[in-house]
Amino acid sequence: MTDERFSGFGAFILYTITAGMMLFILAPLLLVMAVSVSDSYFVTFPPQGFTLKWYAKVLQDRDFLEAMRLSILLALGTTVGSLLFGVPAAFALVRGNFFGLAAIKGFLLSPLIFPALVTGLALLQVLTKLGSQDARLNLLIGHVVVTSPYVIRTVVTSLQLVDENLEDAARTLGANRLTTFWRVTLPQIASGVAAGGLFAFMVSFDNYPVTMWLANSEYSPVPLVLMRQLVNVFDPSVPAMSTIIILMAMVGVLLLEKLVGLRRALAA
Amino acid sequence: MRSSEVRLERLSKEYNRTVAVDDVSLTIEPGHMVALLGPSGCGKTTCLRMIAGLIRPTSGDVFVNDNRMTGVPVHRRNVGMLFQNYALFPHLTVEENIAFGLEMRGISKADAARKVGEALNLVQLSSFGKRYPAQLSGGQQQRVALGRALVIEPAMLLLDEPLGALDKGLRESMQVELRALQRRLGLTTVMVTHDQDEALTMADKIVVMRDGRLEQVGSATEIYQRPTSKFVAQFIGASNLFEGSIEQRNGNGAVVRVSPELSLQVDQIPQSVSDVMVSIRPEAILVERIGQGPTEQRANSVMARVDQAIYRGFVSHYYLKTPSGGQIIVFEQNQSQQAGLRYAVGEEVVARWESPSNHVIVRH
Repeated sequence: MTDERFSGFGAFILYTITAGMMLFILAPLLLVMAVSVSDSYFVTFPPQGFTLKWYAKVLQDRDFLEAMRLSILLALGTTVGSLLFGVPAAFALVRGNFFGLAAIKGFLLSPLIFPALVTGLALLQVLTKLGSQDARLNLLIGHVVVTSPYVIRTVVTSLQLVDENLEDAARTLGANRLTTFWRVTLPQIASGVAAGGLFAFMVSFDNYPVTMWLANSEYSPVPLVLMRQLVNVFDPSVPAMSTIIILMAMVGVLLLEKLVGLRRALAA
Repeated sequence: MRSSEVRLERLSKEYNRTVAVDDVSLTIEPGHMVALLGPSGCGKTTCLRMIAGLIRPTSGDVFVNDNRMTGVPVHRRNVGMLFQNYALFPHLTVEENIAFGLEMRGISKADAARKVGEALNLVQLSSFGKRYPAQLSGGQQQRVALGRALVIEPAMLLLDEPLGALDKGLRESMQVELRALQRRLGLTTVMVTHDQDEALTMADKIVVMRDGRLEQVGSATEIYQRPTSKFVAQFIGASNLFEGSIEQRNGNGAVVRVSPELSLQVDQIPQSVSDVMVSIRPEAILVERIGQGPTEQRANSVMARVDQAIYRGFVSHYYLKTPSGGQIIVFEQNQSQQAGLRYAVGEEVVARWESPSNHVIVRH
């Protein structure tokens, strides 16, 4: 990128539009954060005064903490599950050459297209038919189904950029297919795998439409608890909960950026 | 014992009913370097990859020292392979790249380190061991790839357009270097190239391929001086090709009439044919000003006008037009003191050559 291209009136327009877009995307989040420190019993904007008491309340709320624990464990399990399923699937889609490849690709990515509400209902019916009563297991299965397409997408994209000759070279040097994958292919697609994993974690963490069908009163992840709270008492503890989640997401993104370079991963 | 004999026996490969390699049989003597030469899509790369084991043949077999390799997976074949884009592992240093094959063979760290050092020495990159591939030039990267392929002491070396990505000067010096190294190690080598100069420079034996089949197999001299088909005559170097019919037989040879102004004296010609194709290399033709040479109309000589003249340093190219519209290409070596082109565009000249330069092509 040369300086010439990013100076003068064109640059001014570009920066203005970019800033506008950023504001448009981030404003709701900033609003939530602002309201969460409001010293009032109702959610009002602009916030009145400043207090951290809602955070204190939320962090002592048994239901919320329990839901956080469940959601984090669920999201971690979902991440592992969707990587275990998604990475080999992506590998087969990119390197494979078999009958029905396109159809299988469409099928694997379909949860991205179908309304999650429908996917959730369908899963509930199937899991009930199978007699699966454990809400935690059902949630895990449901979330893996919903998040795998994200992993497949990012891993397919980064795999397509890997030079197949690298794998051929490794094999001529004496590595079997599995060793080749671990020692040569995986390091090339690490950023794609990490980005897919992060997506899986985040999508699982704030998934409502599928979770709604599969959770029960005993095991309710954060989105359900938030929703319930919103319906019952809409005080600034809801924005406080939301802010905690926003901060968690930010930490996750920054960590990934630090470790593998998220920008590189997403650029792929 | 490093030198292996490699034999292809009726090797074929089909993809969805299109034939990429069609019934190829070939023996590569131990220690020889063979070039598979042909235009893109002629099946040369598919052949090479079948030898490596990266592609499974539809039918036929590859033998190494009389051992049938069909069914032996790539990683057990012990081949060293070079790729056009080098295919170095970008996340590993030069040393780690070279050590990769040794590690796969379970060689101890100490032995591996010694061998890596030797390999780096061999490819003259001793001080580059700690660098990453992205920090090296193209030529250096290919040297690393060569070190990586040689350090495993392969049964054979396979080169897939190894110098194609380098610029001309470097490519030519690497050709000579690679050839010298291959000779010194006595390593059986198969190279794929579409570059005839590369094949002529490096190979003991050239295998010209076309549409998945072997077109001609021979030494550089045989392929260049005695092409058996029109395709080979045109693909290797430039050729003047004339079609004509036999006007009069004399002994083993004949006079071939090409056009009213041009007849050819051919010294050797099969008895059974009446129409033939004759190839004459551009450097075999002599250009003279009118009146300098013999004046009477004779064989292997024609009046022409200079249509284009190109000065190319040590050689000049002349494109001549005969009165009936035929084109003759002439390459003439320039003398060191010569001032530019010897003939100007539009000049009337006589082109003539000796009858041994007339090479009859039986297959058109």
